[in-house]
Amino acid sequence: MANKNECTYKQGTLPMCAPLALGTIPAQQSAEPAYDKDQALVKGTLFPGLDLPFKDYVAAGTLEDTPQYELMALDFVTQELALYLDTHADDKEAFETWKCFTELAKEGRRRYAERNGPLKRSQTAMFDSWVWTDEPWPWEFLGNGGNG
Amino acid sequence: MFIYEKKLQYPVRIKNANPALAKFIISQYGGPDGELGASMRYLSQRYSMPYPELKTILTDIGVEELGHLEMVGAIIHQLTRNMSVEDVKAAGMEAYFVDHTAGVYAQAAAGWPYNAATFAVKGDVIADLTEDMGAEQKARVTYDNILRMCDDPDVIDVIRFLREREVVHFQRFGEAVQSR
Repeated sequence: MANKNECTYKQGTLPMCAPLALGTIPAQQSAEPAYDKDQALVKGTLFPGLDLPFKDYVAAGTLEDTPQYELMALDFVTQELALYLDTHADDKEAFETWKCFTELAKEGRRRYAERNGPLKRSQTAMFDSWVWTDEPWPWEFLGNGGNG
Repeated sequence: MFIYEKKLQYPVRIKNANPALAKFIISQYGGPDGELGASMRYLSQRYSMPYPELKTILTDIGVEELGHLEMVGAIIHQLTRNMSVEDVKAAGMEAYFVDHTAGVYAQAAAGWPYNAATFAVKGDVIADLTEDMGAEQKARVTYDNILRMCDDPDVIDVIRFLREREVVHFQRFGEAVQSR
């Protein structure tokens, strides 16, 4: 890797001699720095270096502190790290972080389902009746005063 | 095998219906650079990919795109809920309404139905991954254009999220091209 020490998290690494006639995107150097999970979810990326919004369309803050958003944030971090690991399989530290968040998400999913109903159909087995059909479905939100 | 989860990747909570916005946002459902095409492109390209990390990235991103399809569907559904015929006329949505009522149909903003000709499966690792990078950029521009025409903060927030995912996916496909 060329000049690794001269690159910041906003830049990536290229091979010393990039090949001709092949699209060349600099590889992300590291899974650090990273946003915290709530920030990552609202920004749409875990990685500040990839946070490239359109003009001044920057995330307005963080989401409400609800169990559903908590779980969305945990799942989002696992998805971001998974895509990173797909192209950085040797990053042991990122793999450990992914394992940690995956465990938290698993636990969060169970806790959420107990209170709010099944997320996966199989979780309906926790309940006394076929609550899988209970509303709302994810696309439903009734607007002011509505559900969702 | 796919296992459904009864939640979105990112919340879609649009307080005010606005069919005029749905008229063009529907392009990201079934238009030329929409999420349906994105998921079909990546999930279909997997079979001829020679290397395990490429099969994996196409699976992981293709599945995420299915989640985005559901999010865009939720946007269209919420923007068109409780429409009266007067609302339809005021929004200039008669052409869509006469064919689909308030259903969510995979079509481009210009009205033509979803077409698999909008994406390619060439069966070649360089050709397909290079197509995927272009596809992410085209989807990103479509979201830029939606943001340019949108004035509802509830809609803008979700579109902004979806747009950022295109940036991240572009980066991953770019890294995948060079993985060998």
